Amino acid sequence: MNSESAESHCVPAPAPAPPADGGQLIPLKTILEIRAAVRVLNVYITTVPIQKASSTLGLVRTLVPRDGGYDFQHLRRFAKPGVVPEGVRRRYFEGCGEDGPESLRSSVDENEGLKEEGCEEETKIFLLIAATSIISPSSLLPSLESILGPGVKLSTTEIPLLAPTSAEQAKGWSEKYWPCVYKKSIPFGPHVAIVSRAQEEVLRGVRGWMDSAWGLADAAREEGVGEGVGVVIVERRGGEARVVVGAGDGRWCRWGREEGGEGNVTAHAVMRGIGMVSEGLARDYTSPSAIPPFPDTEGGIFRNHPLLDLENDLPEKEVDVGGYLCHDLEIYCTHEPCVMCSMAIVHSRFGRAVFEKRMCGTGGLCADEGGLGHGLWWRKELNWTMLGWRWVRPLGFREGRVDVVDVELDA
Amino acid sequence: MTNQETRSEEENAIHLNYMREALSMAELALHTSETPVGCVIVHPSHGIIGRGMNATNRTRNGTMHAEFIAINEILSPSPESSNASSLTNLSSKSPPFVTENEEERKSLYPFPPRILNESTLYVTVEPCIMCASLLRQFGIKRVFFGASNEKFGGTGGVLDVHLGNGKVSGIESNETVRTTSNQEEQMAHRRNGDYEVSGGWLREEAIVMLRRFYVQENGRAPEPRRKADRVLKLEVEPLEGGGGV
Ligand SMILES: [Zn+2]
Ligand SMILES: [Zn+2]
Repeated sequence: MNSESAESHCVPAPAPAPPADGGQLIPLKTILEIRAAVRVLNVYITTVPIQKASSTLGLVRTLVPRDGGYDFQHLRRFAKPGVVPEGVRRRYFEGCGEDGPESLRSSVDENEGLKEEGCEEETKIFLLIAATSIISPSSLLPSLESILGPGVKLSTTEIPLLAPTSAEQAKGWSEKYWPCVYKKSIPFGPHVAIVSRAQEEVLRGVRGWMDSAWGLADAAREEGVGEGVGVVIVERRGGEARVVVGAGDGRWCRWGREEGGEGNVTAHAVMRGIGMVSEGLARDYTSPSAIPPFPDTEGGIFRNHPLLDLENDLPEKEVDVGGYLCHDLEIYCTHEPCVMCSMAIVHSRFGRAVFEKRMCGTGGLCADEGGLGHGLWWRKELNWTMLGWRWVRPLGFREGRVDVVDVELDA
Repeated sequence: MTNQETRSEEENAIHLNYMREALSMAELALHTSETPVGCVIVHPSHGIIGRGMNATNRTRNGTMHAEFIAINEILSPSPESSNASSLTNLSSKSPPFVTENEEERKSLYPFPPRILNESTLYVTVEPCIMCASLLRQFGIKRVFFGASNEKFGGTGGVLDVHLGNGKVSGIESNETVRTTSNQEEQMAHRRNGDYEVSGGWLREEAIVMLRRFYVQENGRAPEPRRKADRVLKLEVEPLEGGGGV
């Protein structure tokens, strides 16, 4: 399988030119950001005279309490015709036929491209009523007509289901779907300021750590212990960052390829890296209730001890996480980790995760549509979130070095 | 979720029996201050081939869930074998799993990895996303679980890793969803590794076990909770809130 062409179909090209020497960190998108970009909801809209606007909305609230569970906080409930996208207006008025309110139509035309002040002539405004899945026109129309008089016109249109995650997105959606507002307070991911501060720190060391990870990947493959996948785990304390563990993939170590299957799943590079950190932690762990030492990690299928010379080369092994898993450590991966490894990173409470090669078929970190879409690096329901980036080399940097890992591999 | 109604009495009795074995593993975990989640892996002709219980606390490794421990037991070299201890210390360049002598291989490793393709996991709590993927990659045949895991679950709770690696999950029906991937693309991911899942087996017992864990750990006051305990607490949380306890 050609990994390069397969990659190109699902990874959006990084737009800005990378710095000449460094490469670029692209913050991962959360599943909420991705979903918000693609999810729309069908709603009914109508027009109401301004003086009847609030009584009509009051009626809607009794007909559809709490908007049927949908959150419209990011949307303008009332919108002047001038700010409603042209296509939405046109569909509404086309449906009106010759009975369409002439005054409204002309005021719309006047408003286009003009400042809103000074031409407040329109007497009707648009109202977003309710999701079409919640209520039918036959139960909506008689009630509306009791307030607005006969001949109420309903139209359906699409609105973005979730709140926009940036001002630009809000602007784009307002022009395409319906006027909407961007509120900074709604969390869709880590705070922008936190991401950019962390990104500066990561950028200073990422290239070296990624090179180390690739070194481990190459060694694992060349020595036959695993696939060409590697990780480096970094501890950052008081502004100082240092590598505490490096691990290559070990799925074929003491494991028969002839047996078929995916090899030793527990020996993926990420799992080995986590295992090595835990071995260090367990060493000085004295149990209060005299739990016998765990017998299975040494002789079994787990590969928590160095298999490669490179893995032994690291100067120090002591990790200060307060004895608490991999709390706030950073992991640098040659490949986007598989679903198991991505969730292992979450369980282990890493603070930052960076990978270089996107794995569209198997990766668990990204939320993008082109892949599985799990977005495990930042999901509210998982009770642990981290910061995540994809690292992109300057063009041509890896010339002469081929990534031999199949895109469908679980890294 | 549970299919108990559609199975025969006899078959249900067999599954419940194995689930009781899984619960006894959970109880063992409870006695060693681990989150009480236990499992057994059963082969149609060999019976129970592996047992596991949560071991995140004593290993200081947040990935050592019951499923990992059970698979490790099945695929490890057999401890009785005289060669086993030397084998575990072999370097990476040593001969792999399969030796030329099939008899020797069998004496070292009683079961090849593919035995999991014919085996069923019984686990007291729905496998988390990590374990659901582990089971998928090892090619487990079936999974029976007790309590649902609405916060971390990988076989229905949060993701459907057992179906197409979870790719098609998370789409709600009453909304229009724009997606670039077409049906064919989604089918391509529905392939090797999908497995059958059935939940709700001795669910109440599994939850009671978790509650006993709370009581036990809280009873350790006034000593401040060790940091590792926080991990345990988080793992149990979903069952308190979402499990319909
Ligand atoms: Zn993996
Ligand atoms: Zn698990």
